[in-house]
Amino acid sequence: MNLAIKDIRYSLGRFLLTAAGVGFLITASIGMVGLYRGIVADALLLIEQIGADLWVVQGGHSGPFSESSAISTDMDRRVAGVVGVAAVRRFTQTSQQVSFNDRSVRATITAIDFPSDTGDWINLTAGRHLRNGHYEVIANDNLSLALGTSITVGRDQYHVVGLTSGMVDMGGDGLMFMSVNDVITIMKRRTNEEILLARKSDLASGLATGNSDSNGGSVDGALDNQKIAAVLVTLSPAADEQAVREALLAWGDVNVMSGQDQKDLLLNQRLLRLRIQILAFTGVLLVVMAIVISLIIYMLTIEKLHQIAMLKLIGARNSVVINMIVQQAFLIGAGGFAFGIGLARLIFPHFPRRVVMDLHDLGLLAMTVAIICAFASLMGISRALNVRAQEVLS
Amino acid sequence: MTATPVLSIRNASRHYQSGDSIVKALDDVSMDIMPGEVVGILGPSGSGKSTLLLIAGLLEPPTLGEVYIGGKRVSYPDAMLEGLRSFRRHNIGFVFQKANLIPFLTALENVALALEIDDVSPRDARDYARWLLGSLDLAHRRDNLPKQLSGGEQQRVAVARALANDPRLILADEPTAALDGERGKQVIRLFRQIATEADAGVAVVTHDPRVLSLFDRSYELRDGRIVKGHHPRQEST
Repeated sequence: MNLAIKDIRYSLGRFLLTAAGVGFLITASIGMVGLYRGIVADALLLIEQIGADLWVVQGGHSGPFSESSAISTDMDRRVAGVVGVAAVRRFTQTSQQVSFNDRSVRATITAIDFPSDTGDWINLTAGRHLRNGHYEVIANDNLSLALGTSITVGRDQYHVVGLTSGMVDMGGDGLMFMSVNDVITIMKRRTNEEILLARKSDLASGLATGNSDSNGGSVDGALDNQKIAAVLVTLSPAADEQAVREALLAWGDVNVMSGQDQKDLLLNQRLLRLRIQILAFTGVLLVVMAIVISLIIYMLTIEKLHQIAMLKLIGARNSVVINMIVQQAFLIGAGGFAFGIGLARLIFPHFPRRVVMDLHDLGLLAMTVAIICAFASLMGISRALNVRAQEVLS
Repeated sequence: MTATPVLSIRNASRHYQSGDSIVKALDDVSMDIMPGEVVGILGPSGSGKSTLLLIAGLLEPPTLGEVYIGGKRVSYPDAMLEGLRSFRRHNIGFVFQKANLIPFLTALENVALALEIDDVSPRDARDYARWLLGSLDLAHRRDNLPKQLSGGEQQRVAVARALANDPRLILADEPTAALDGERGKQVIRLFRQIATEADAGVAVVTHDPRVLSLFDRSYELRDGRIVKGHHPRQEST
């Protein structure tokens, strides 16, 4: 006769509510870990999908994700001449407000070096990749753009030709892919106010240095200055990565990073505080869960002290009492875990940021819940074993 | 040749420390219960009845004296009673004022539980529990939870549970207190029937005067000492 199951069936409503309460805590834990995984996945998404062997960035910088990077737009030609380099692509990103249908959304515009790169490494959910060098975009679905929609970025109109899903930057803004020339045009655009300010500054600088050229040539030069963030390098199969890296670094005006370097920078520098913060919150949540489950099991045991005394009186071994407590603790844990996962699957897809439910994380969480249940059982058991049979008479 | 007493208490005392003084809950009590006997233990509140029951039921050791069950010395000062759980399971059945049934088990399961914890197979335990409930006119109530039973029915289920392991000694603490007069007498008659049929000894702690005439013998306790012994059945005949 399984006393734990009998008791649960007798108080099914209370058991379900208890399991649901534990389940909410488990859902919150899954959410915390999943949010962290989601932020990491979003941050690494582009680095992993874009598939570059090396990133050539501004000298002395570790851009373009962990800090800024600006290099000349013709840097790709210099890099292409290095022995061992099979292909190069220009890369840059900028955040912009995009207007359409009287709405405005924030997007991270990412350059595709068309025509050498049509963006075929991007997984589309609808539409096609780029076919023209101008005025075409591939947009992520969280920007709520439909295929064929016309959007205004800067002074120009662009047409949505392809849609992706789950492609966001580490801030959660949807990615929008355009040809690199379009992105450079967008980045070059200045407002009238910016131009006036730049001219004033240039004039003041000229007076200070005795330069009487007031035609604004240097201002225009600055305004025409074109830059990209990085050059993506694909190495020849037989190339020696270290040799290519040394050749590029020898120029002195660039830094060279591998994809792994970019990931390490993101995870261990840019996202480090966030990771620690989320892990600390998860730890706090697990402690709260441990306390709550322990209290629940302890209270369930306290409620049954008279029955436990009766069991002892009629000669039940301690194992009968221990089994009942342990089984109930684990059934509450298992019920809560199932409820927690079910709820997480139901609600997290509707959250604004991606919440990744990693199987390995869920396994670890299940183990943690099991350990918490075992600990909670020990509290109940230690109380139950102190019950004396004669307490039935009290 | 005289039969061995089912329960024999020899010069048992139970003292409790209360601050600087010592309370003598039981003071040099000796008594025997023979097979087939139903014995009443009477006395006002605080006279030591429940303490006597705890000592007889191997739930507390005496401070002085000894307890024999079926001729075997089982309890004495400083005896480790926790190790006697199995002995208690096989030899002693308990019935209380409150039925103390497990609320989440049916009548049948409450009785069968007493057998299953003695490693009787679930099927055999249920068969015997069914038979026991039938013999106590509770066959139709076997699948009811305790809360669905009347007080008298709950008490009879508790009796069935006490009988499940065929104990030689049944200890009952105020089993009729929560029942009306007729139901109370029914319970004592049931004990008599069990005592006769199973050759068991039954000790009933009570202060219910309505059932006194149903005991073979009775002891009256006052301030922890036996002050009187009666033979009501012999007196009434």
